Amino acid sequence: MGLVAIATGKFLSSFSVFLFLTVLLMVVARRISTSVLLFSLQSAIITAEVFATGVRERLPAAYVVGALVLLIKVIAIPLVFFRLVDGLKTPRDVKASTTPTQSVFIAGAMIYLSYAAVHSFGQTVHVPEDALAAAVALILTGSFLMVSRKKALMQMLGLLVLENGIFLAALLTTFGMPLVIEIGIFFDILVGLLLMGIFTFRIRDTFDHLDVTKLRRLRG
Amino acid sequence: MTTAINLIQALLLILGAPLVGGIIGKIKAWMQRRQGASIWRPYFEIAKLFRKGDLVPPSASWVFHFAPKVLFGTSVCAVAFVPVLQPSALLAFRGDFFLFVYLLALGRFFLSLGALDGGSAFGGMGASRDALVSTLAEAPFLLGLAAVSILAVHADIAGMVTWTLQQDVLKISAVHILAFTSLAMVVLAETGRMPVDNPTTHLELTMIHEGMVLEYSGPSLALVEWASAIKLHVMLALLISLFGPWGMASTVSLWGLGTAVLLYLAKVAVLAILLALVESVVAKLRMYLVPDFLGVAAAVSALAVIFTTLVKR
Repeated sequence: MGLVAIATGKFLSSFSVFLFLTVLLMVVARRISTSVLLFSLQSAIITAEVFATGVRERLPAAYVVGALVLLIKVIAIPLVFFRLVDGLKTPRDVKASTTPTQSVFIAGAMIYLSYAAVHSFGQTVHVPEDALAAAVALILTGSFLMVSRKKALMQMLGLLVLENGIFLAALLTTFGMPLVIEIGIFFDILVGLLLMGIFTFRIRDTFDHLDVTKLRRLRG
Repeated sequence: MTTAINLIQALLLILGAPLVGGIIGKIKAWMQRRQGASIWRPYFEIAKLFRKGDLVPPSASWVFHFAPKVLFGTSVCAVAFVPVLQPSALLAFRGDFFLFVYLLALGRFFLSLGALDGGSAFGGMGASRDALVSTLAEAPFLLGLAAVSILAVHADIAGMVTWTLQQDVLKISAVHILAFTSLAMVVLAETGRMPVDNPTTHLELTMIHEGMVLEYSGPSLALVEWASAIKLHVMLALLISLFGPWGMASTVSLWGLGTAVLLYLAKVAVLAILLALVESVVAKLRMYLVPDFLGVAAAVSALAVIFTTLVKR
């Protein structure tokens, strides 16, 4: 058992590094479908982290949460997104307002910032520093995605990335919230996604595009 | 004994190079549900070209003859710096990764000169495009290697590999992932593979490397083809030895060397499959998007260097 615990501990801190990679790729992705696939991959990594925490801390509830993450974030949400992209019949590019190189530098600065923010905290509390920095970086890049992408769909995706970050931070610092609250949060996400999906259809029907920078006037 | 093994691994890189190209071609053919040519085809092709006569454009000067020899010579020299079977190389000294990068750059420079000297319009076009790609790829290449070198506190490639061998497989640092990402992108650009250049095309609008070698024939073309095969192989070997050297023989023994050879072949096969996969599913970038692609590589490698300050020693 000791060996398993050590292995999962190492896994926790090592695999969070791959989260940085998904974040960087997501920021340069040119198509909505690529970003959605990357989000799915990111959630899969987080699922693995949930299971690893469950093994290490011997929390059976973590398995339920992990299964929920797998079901909702890795499978359900990307499928919903693909159906939205199909149904909206909108051009497939994300319409970024920054060039890919600028985006990588901004995302890199955010990753650096998250390490700086976490550094003092990581010494007082026994938490893998890389993983906590990854959580903060997810929150920051999620909001960056929301700000810098013009398509309404990408703002939904940015919000989901942000939520992934918050979820990971909660998992690392408190070993997960109580099961009832987790289920509540997942339900929240699903309902929010549903509402936002309906809204994007309404935006498309009223304005004939999904570009939020052009939403300046009220229309009946 | 160590020197002998170093010599063997350099020869492995040089003589095995056409085989790597053959394997990639075979896998790509399978993915397109074709039978594909034999994996030994590049050898036959090079042998055939060596037996043919050299056709030289009437306008060409001595540079045209000289360029393929320089390209081949620099590629062979670059091979001497890369460890394959054991964490040491034929040539190793402080700062040799700079020399490695610029040996490859020198070869490219002379190939461009030769293409311009050939006097055809396609040669000039290919040369100017290649100059753009290689200029943009130089920064991420150097920075990616520098990041690993800072992390390892060794300035020679063999030293970096020795250091990496002593590390734990599970303890992947952010620097390694960033440096690997940027160097993998550089490999695609430097060796003229798919998102940047299509190695199989002779379509005038898109070719870069093929445009440059269009005027070459016979033994000169054989040297150019072999040199670019060596370049691909040595870049893959560099990726393997910097980011996944585990399994190299740390002591000289028959058992250790045997496993090292087998593991190396397996790793190259994995990379070849990945490369073929990328080439089968990814469309070639428009020429104007190539600077974006390499800009991302440069940004990632700059990040890798910055991140070395975060790693605890």
